[in-house]
Amino acid sequence: MTYAIETRALTKRYGRHTALDGMDLAVETGSVFGMIGPNGAGKTTAMRLLLDIIRPTSGDATVLGESPRAGGAALRRRIGFLPGELMLEGRVTGRALLAHYADISGPVPAGRIDELAERLGLDLTRHVRKLSKGNKQKLGLVQAFMHEPPLLVLDEPTSGLDPLVQQEFLTMVREAQHKGQTVFLSSHVLSEIQTAADHVAVLRNGKIVKVGDVATLRASAVRRVVVDLTDVSADSIRNTLEALPQLNDLTVMDGDIVHITGTVEGHIDALVKAIAPFHVVDLRVEEQDLESSVINLYSSEANNDN
Amino acid sequence: MTTSFLPLLRRNLADSWRGTLGWTIGFVAAIMLYIPLYSSFSAQDTGFQDLIDTLPSGLATTLGFQDLTSGAGYVQATFLGLIGFALMTIAATLWSSAAIAGDEESGSLELTLAHGVSRVQIMVERSLAVILRLTWLAAVSALLILALNDSAGTKLEPANIVGGCLALLGLGVLAASFGLAVGAITGRRSFASASAAGIALLGYVLNSLGNQSADVDWLHNISPYDWAFGNSPLRDGADWDSLGLIYGISVVVLVIGGIAFNRRDVSA
Repeated sequence: MTYAIETRALTKRYGRHTALDGMDLAVETGSVFGMIGPNGAGKTTAMRLLLDIIRPTSGDATVLGESPRAGGAALRRRIGFLPGELMLEGRVTGRALLAHYADISGPVPAGRIDELAERLGLDLTRHVRKLSKGNKQKLGLVQAFMHEPPLLVLDEPTSGLDPLVQQEFLTMVREAQHKGQTVFLSSHVLSEIQTAADHVAVLRNGKIVKVGDVATLRASAVRRVVVDLTDVSADSIRNTLEALPQLNDLTVMDGDIVHITGTVEGHIDALVKAIAPFHVVDLRVEEQDLESSVINLYSSEANNDN
Repeated sequence: MTTSFLPLLRRNLADSWRGTLGWTIGFVAAIMLYIPLYSSFSAQDTGFQDLIDTLPSGLATTLGFQDLTSGAGYVQATFLGLIGFALMTIAATLWSSAAIAGDEESGSLELTLAHGVSRVQIMVERSLAVILRLTWLAAVSALLILALNDSAGTKLEPANIVGGCLALLGLGVLAASFGLAVGAITGRRSFASASAAGIALLGYVLNSLGNQSADVDWLHNISPYDWAFGNSPLRDGADWDSLGLIYGISVVVLVIGGIAFNRRDVSA
């Protein structure tokens, strides 16, 4: 088994602040690997280290078989990178800017830029500085994908994209995977990358707290539920639901319609069966932001271990 | 292994041609304003030198007005040593601080660095781009001074015009090298601007102080402004030793900046 990215105890400190704390990561060649965590968890730091934009305090990384520092410009030609905070300025058209990036990247197949722009709905004739955030993000995606690099490193690739374009992006990721390219992407929301990623690492405070496949993580995620019932008294439903071990943060508001909120860890099955006998007006299950779901789960597990 | 020739330099020039055009107009306007006026100064019996002689000697020497009646002295005092020097310094300060530090502060440098370019390549190509633009301004100045030479009656040797403008360019390149290097080392545009403008201003102030009396004449020895203009290049021709010193220091400063840039973290 070969790895497109391998890090060993990769650490980055800024003075007393530790941005990345001994990260061990292995991304298989040809896989789609997601890194999720709240803002400030170290995702961007890790990606910048892989691109040799910053240098590690200790530990080391191997990208496509080379150290980022030693691999230099030749290695970066084989990587497509989308920065987390994409800054594009200048009185140039998108096409001219992409031509410049093509100049300093690997060779771009003829027609590739137009094809990608059309798929994402990006107008290449407009000046870059006049583009909306979403359109700048599309331009950033085009420059990362256009030279069909063996490795794509994408920091928050879906940010600013509307849902239709997000779908197109996920299709592009799957196509890249079929061509044998490796995709390493980050997000602060699990749902945005769950359909694309084979494996996910959860990063918190510069440390990886969990690595697993998406289905496992999703099953154990904490979800917020809202249930509206009639034909039931608040007290009796409260007693029924309080007996469920997976349900926490329960609130019950009495009225013509009894309004119930709570959070569920893991499977939702027990809750659905518990409310099934009553008249269900509304049932909503919302995946919380990752910060308050998976991460809380694993940090509380870690605390329990102590 | 570059896919095309000097891509970063070409990008910089393409991005900045409007600004360069504006500065060119500024230089042309300054020269068109000052040089043709010389004929009215140089005519016999205008008493202009008498007027200068009535100024406090300190003021006249500080402004470099000791010799306004010769063509070389006039062009040196009005354009090369004053308004041209000021314009050249400002252009060098703005362009050199924007080239790396400004790009880093705006966040654009990160994406450029993630492509197939090395830090050294960025330093070299962007420095060349700034120097090329400054050279353009010096070349336009030289050509325009030459074109006005007959009509204004400044009677300058064409080779000396080139020598004088090379000296002016040298001061611009020196300031720009500090701006580029400090920007490459710190990533802060304010530091880059301060060092570029600072080195130019320091040279000018040391020269002016050195003019005041023989006791402080040695200050000329450490003033780049004096290295450039002390031996009156417009009158006596280019001082190649001094030019070598100015351009040599610029190269050393750029190399130091490039080495530090190659070693440090870049971040928005």
